[in-house]
Amino acid sequence: MPATTVAATATEPIRSPFLVILLAWLVPGGGHFLLGKRGRALLIFACVLLSFLFGVLMRGPLFQPSGGADVLSKLIQYGGFLGDLAAGIPYLVVSFFGYAPPDSASHVADYGSKLIVAAGLLNILAIVDAYEIATRQKE
Amino acid sequence: MTLNLDHFETSLLFAVFSSVVLGIVTKRTTDERVKYGLYCFACFLAALFGIGWFMRILHG
Repeated sequence: MPATTVAATATEPIRSPFLVILLAWLVPGGGHFLLGKRGRALLIFACVLLSFLFGVLMRGPLFQPSGGADVLSKLIQYGGFLGDLAAGIPYLVVSFFGYAPPDSASHVADYGSKLIVAAGLLNILAIVDAYEIATRQKE
Repeated sequence: MTLNLDHFETSLLFAVFSSVVLGIVTKRTTDERVKYGLYCFACFLAALFGIGWFMRILHG
């Protein structure tokens, strides 16, 4: 019986996975920080935030959940919007302060837009990793 | 303040950020993470220069 108790305890989550996911989304690296993985949290925070900041400084436009009439345009706009949104608080802050550069034909703005989406996608990887740590699927 | 980075510089930034995060989330030990991060960065660079030269040869 003691062995069963130990095994049952070992498989219990360290923290609420929901809380970890929420914090990891809002603050890049926040999920890892909550789980005591400070070094990894700092690196994730720096990478996601810097990618987002470089994108904003390059005046990359944010994707909007709308789109053109055709399916491909809608797919690109909605997918990009989800990518932007996944960055968490950085996205919410710039949206709150009305960041909306014009969607120009400049290649620099286009690269910036991609860096902003990349920040969100990297944060999604970090969220999944934090969830796996919280549910003890990995350390 | 506005940054005007070119394609190469933007690609390098993307490669660095992606390599670090990929190294962190895919491996289990610090040693493995560092090695995988460097491996990913090398792959990004190889793709960047490889595709760059391919386009140059293709377009003449």
